[in-house]
Amino acid sequence: MVAAKKHVPIVKKRGHKKFNRHQSDLYKCVPSSWRKPKGIDNRVRRRFKGQAAMPKIGYGSNKKTRHMTPSGHKAFLVQNTSDVELLLMHNRTFAAEIGHAVSSRKRVEILAKAKALGVKVTNPKGRVSTDA
Amino acid sequence: MMRDQLGPTVSILGADGKQTGETTPLPAVFKAPIRPDIVQSVHTGMAKNKRQPYAVSVKAGHQTSAESWGTGRAVARIPRVSGGGTHRAGQAAFGNQCRSGRMFAPTKTWRKWHVKVPQGQRRFATASAVAASAAVPLVMARGHRVSEVSELPLVIANSAFAGLEKTRAAVALLKSIGAYADVVKVTKSKKTRAGKGKLRGRRHRQRRGPLVIFNPADETSSNVAKAFRNIPGVETSSVSSLNLLQLAPGGHLGRFVIWTESAFNSLNTIYGSTTEAGEGKKNYLLPSNVVSQSDLVRLINSSEVQSVLRPTKGGAKQKKGGYAGVLKKNPLKNKQVMLRLNPYAKAFAAEKLGSQKVEGSKERPGLTETFKKVLNSA
Amino acid sequence: MSYPNLSADVFWECTRNRSSYMVKRGHGTSQTIFSKEPMNLKNIHSRKNSGLVNEKAIGVMPGTDRGVILITKTSNEKNGQKPIKLFQKTELKKHNRKVYGSIVNTTAKKYYRPDLRADAVARASAILHSQRKQKGSSSSA
Repeated sequence: MVAAKKHVPIVKKRGHKKFNRHQSDLYKCVPSSWRKPKGIDNRVRRRFKGQAAMPKIGYGSNKKTRHMTPSGHKAFLVQNTSDVELLLMHNRTFAAEIGHAVSSRKRVEILAKAKALGVKVTNPKGRVSTDA
Repeated sequence: MMRDQLGPTVSILGADGKQTGETTPLPAVFKAPIRPDIVQSVHTGMAKNKRQPYAVSVKAGHQTSAESWGTGRAVARIPRVSGGGTHRAGQAAFGNQCRSGRMFAPTKTWRKWHVKVPQGQRRFATASAVAASAAVPLVMARGHRVSEVSELPLVIANSAFAGLEKTRAAVALLKSIGAYADVVKVTKSKKTRAGKGKLRGRRHRQRRGPLVIFNPADETSSNVAKAFRNIPGVETSSVSSLNLLQLAPGGHLGRFVIWTESAFNSLNTIYGSTTEAGEGKKNYLLPSNVVSQSDLVRLINSSEVQSVLRPTKGGAKQKKGGYAGVLKKNPLKNKQVMLRLNPYAKAFAAEKLGSQKVEGSKERPGLTETFKKVLNSA
Repeated sequence: MSYPNLSADVFWECTRNRSSYMVKRGHGTSQTIFSKEPMNLKNIHSRKNSGLVNEKAIGVMPGTDRGVILITKTSNEKNGQKPIKLFQKTELKKHNRKVYGSIVNTTAKKYYRPDLRADAVARASAILHSQRKQKGSSSSA
């Protein structure tokens, strides 16, 4: 496995997992995808104590390390071995992530190819039996 | 180049896939400008013209005599089904938010289904698509497997079609000219369609293969159409009625086209040229290129352009420059630059003044004798 | 190109947003665009790297069992319209350093895409490295 390119340290900001839309926990008809509250009296908009936090720029991570996994790679979705071959010259920047619907037979092929090319796989254990 | 002076020619292949030795001049359509933007917009318009109207029933959601209960009953003022003795009575009706109400903005059969595309644009797009079918990179980028094909445009001699009645013979011909790889790609690509289209006569989806274009004036034309029509992905078309939807499926330029010799030769009479109208297109001149040389590098490096360029400002120094046009060099790393800025730097370094220790008394300030004197005298 | 309406610049403008070789992943700032072209040394979809569009291009592919296959394009004036003759393949099966040497000697040293010199050698090196025998399968995947 090839280690990732040298990069500035990844700063993981403490905090929020996901910003859910206000009141999406109360009503089934309000989906959780974020919408900024606009109401004149809205307590979330007015940032009252104890209310849900709203997204703002400060939650963003350093541009240089954005989308990076802790290993320093960026994830690249692969469905087959020819997708892995794309990463031949990028195995220090990208890691392969096997698509969820890929069968275990093809996963074995993908893992073998990735190993030969020195490409890191972020989810090598999925669907592949442990004794293999 | 000799070939340019005479105009480019295209060699004709025989039934065995080898060159017959004969060549034919390239029709003027192939010099039409390649304009993906025009082809795409014309394609989106034309693709809509096969649609059939559909709509929900005009009565849907309105087959009840519901009326609003008005205010004062502590329920919404939506129309409600009248009567009793059934669950339906008292339920809201009509509104798009109601169960078994009408949909929002019910679809109408008089929606604007079809788009009129001006004839000039349609012809421009067709000419452009024909020209692009001769561009190897565009045909390959469309996904056609043409690496075994000897030449684009691919022209097959009339004699090859003389006894061609069976599909088996057509397949043999495709194999000999190196076009069968594209058919294999199509057969492999056949997949069941996702969604409801399966129930509506569009069970499978597959790629498109080569397009065989014949001349309807030929005796063999009906043979060609029949022999090729059952090969997966292969389509046939008459040269006199070329269809953009076939020449550029999905609005993407570069369909792999196989021409019969007579169809290819009739292109000039049908389309004419940029100066003379063809027989097939009344009063229509082929579009001409805005630039006669589309190779930008050649254009920039041509003596005409180079001779009128003013010399580079600042010479080679400026090339590497940043905002000021001069490469900023770090004097702390570059000795020559440092000396230019600070001539004393040489002596400073030679005497190692930078690494000398600071000389002076070790007395702390405030604890000296002088200080005490001054303090006490006051 | 002997046809006045066809040139590498036209091809690039046509294929930069629609090409069957293009592989797009992600959205917005995280989007990366790769290319599956066989003659693309870095697999990056760009004007410089595109082997389909450029009149001169270099491709390096793994050889049949070992070594690499070097692909170059033949003269565009002569063979631009002839797909079967357009690509020239040479199989290189020598020692690694000799492979790099012959790649450079046949391309960059002959003023054939000298800008791709480092990329071509790097790709050949990566391919040869991948062909080496794997260590025992017990090592972490």
